[in-house]
Amino acid sequence: MSIKNWISESFPVDNEALSHASSEPIPNHMKKWWWALGGTPFYMFVVQIITGLLLAFYYVPNPDVAYESVSKITNEVSYGWLIRSIHKWSANIMMATVILHMMRVFFTQAYRKPRELNWMFGVIIFLLTLILGFTGYSLIYEQMSYWAMKVGTEIAAATPFVGNWIANFMRGGEDIGQATLSRMHILHVLILPMVMVILLFIHVYLIRTLGVTDLRFKNEEKAERKTFPFWPNHVMTELVMVALIMFVLVALSLIWPAHMGAKADPTTTPMHIKPEWYFYPVYRWLKLSNLTLGVIVPMICVGILFFWPFIDRFFEKVFPKKEVGFWIGVLGALLLTVLLFWETIAH
Amino acid sequence: MQRRNFLTNLFAFVPLILGFLGISKMSMDFLTPTRKAQLRKVFASNLADLPINGTKEMIDLKGNKFNLIRTGEKEVKALSTTCTHLGCSVYWEADKNQFYCPCHQGVFDSDGNVVSGPPPTKLDSYETEIIGSNIYIFMKDNIA
Repeated sequence: MSIKNWISESFPVDNEALSHASSEPIPNHMKKWWWALGGTPFYMFVVQIITGLLLAFYYVPNPDVAYESVSKITNEVSYGWLIRSIHKWSANIMMATVILHMMRVFFTQAYRKPRELNWMFGVIIFLLTLILGFTGYSLIYEQMSYWAMKVGTEIAAATPFVGNWIANFMRGGEDIGQATLSRMHILHVLILPMVMVILLFIHVYLIRTLGVTDLRFKNEEKAERKTFPFWPNHVMTELVMVALIMFVLVALSLIWPAHMGAKADPTTTPMHIKPEWYFYPVYRWLKLSNLTLGVIVPMICVGILFFWPFIDRFFEKVFPKKEVGFWIGVLGALLLTVLLFWETIAH
Repeated sequence: MQRRNFLTNLFAFVPLILGFLGISKMSMDFLTPTRKAQLRKVFASNLADLPINGTKEMIDLKGNKFNLIRTGEKEVKALSTTCTHLGCSVYWEADKNQFYCPCHQGVFDSDGNVVSGPPPTKLDSYETEIIGSNIYIFMKDNIA
C-alpha cells in the first residue's frame, strides 16, 4: 500500500465537500484589494497568538518579577524586543481594523436581516478585543499599566448593583496584587483567546452560510449579480493584504519598538497618565461627567450598538426613507472622534 | 409527549441540570475571594514628632498613602490621598493649597472636600486616637 493510499484511508477527506466549502461565491465589489477589513483583524489575531505564545515562554505572572520578566524579553532575549513590538503593534492594528470593519458594516447596513445575530457576535468580538487589550497591557506591570488596572477595576466597581462584586472578582480581592495579575494572565492567555476562537468560528460560519452582503453602487442597481469564487481568487487578495500588513507591522516595530515605562509603584500615580488610545473616548468622558454617568453612558452606548439592527429597523418603520440610522451613526462616529482627539492633544 | 418519555427526560435532565448548577455555584465561590480585610489600630507617630499644623506622609497596611496632620494640641486627622473617583493617588500642591488627581483632574481642598472635577465624595479619612503622647490610626490590613 502506498503512503498516499494509507493516508487517504486513515484520514478520509471528502474532496467534493471541501471544494464546495471553499468555492463560496463572493460579490464582485470585493475584487477591490482594499476590501479586506474583516480579514485583517483575523490575521492580526493569528499573529498575536503566535507572538503571544513566544512571549509566554519568558513571562512570569508574579507582581515581584513580572516587570523584570518583560524587561528581560525586551532587553536580553534574542529578538525579544521585536516579538514584543509585533505583539503590541498587531494588537493596535487589530483594534483599529475591527473599528473600521464595524464602521463599514454599519454604514453599508450589512447588519440588516438576516445578519442581525452575526452583527451581535461581531459586537461581542469587538468588546473581547478591548478586554484582551486591557488584560494584556496590565501584564507588563509598569506604572501606566498598573494604574490602568486600578482605574479599570474601579470603573467596574462603579457599576450599579453588581459593581463591587465584579471589581472584587476581577481583582481577586479588595486590592490589586498577585491574585489580580494571575486573573489578568489566565484571562489574557487562555480564556479570552479560547472564547475569541469560538466566536470567530461562529462569525465566519454565519458569513459563509448567509453569504457576504451584495453591495450595489450607483448605476449598478439593476445590473446582474456578479460573483467570483472564494478560493483561489479572494484568498489571493487576502494574501496580498497579509504581505502588505506584515510589512507595515515590522516597519512600525522597527521604527517605534515597544518600550518599558517605570516599574509599578502602588503608592504613587504618575503625574501624566493616559490609557491606550482605544480607551481615550471613555477616559475623556470620565473627566467630563460624574462617576455614575461616566460608567452608565458607555454601557448604554454598547447596548445600543449591540441591539442596533433592531433599533435601526424600528427607525426605518417609524421614519421610512429618512435614513435616521445613518445620521445617528455619523453623529456617534463624530462624537467618538472628537473625544479621541481631545484626549490625544490634552496634557 | 408520552408519559414514559417525559419521565425518562425528567430523570435524565433534571439531575444533570441541578448538577451543572451546583458545579457552577462551587466554581463561582472558588473564584470569589472570601477573606475580608480587618480593621487594626496601629501606632503612627509620637505627638512630639509632629508639631501643630505639621503633616507627615505615611503608608497604611494596604500600601496606600495618607497624610497625618496635627490640627491642635490634642487633635490630629489622617486624610487618605486616594482619589474617591477611581482610586488614583492625589498630589499635594502646596502653592495652591489643594490636592490634585492626575487621572481625571479632580481637585480637593486641604480638608479633602471636592473643589472641582468628577470625584463623587471628599477624600476618605482614617479614625485616629491619641493615648498619652502616642497617635494611633485605625486602618484595614492587607490579608485579602
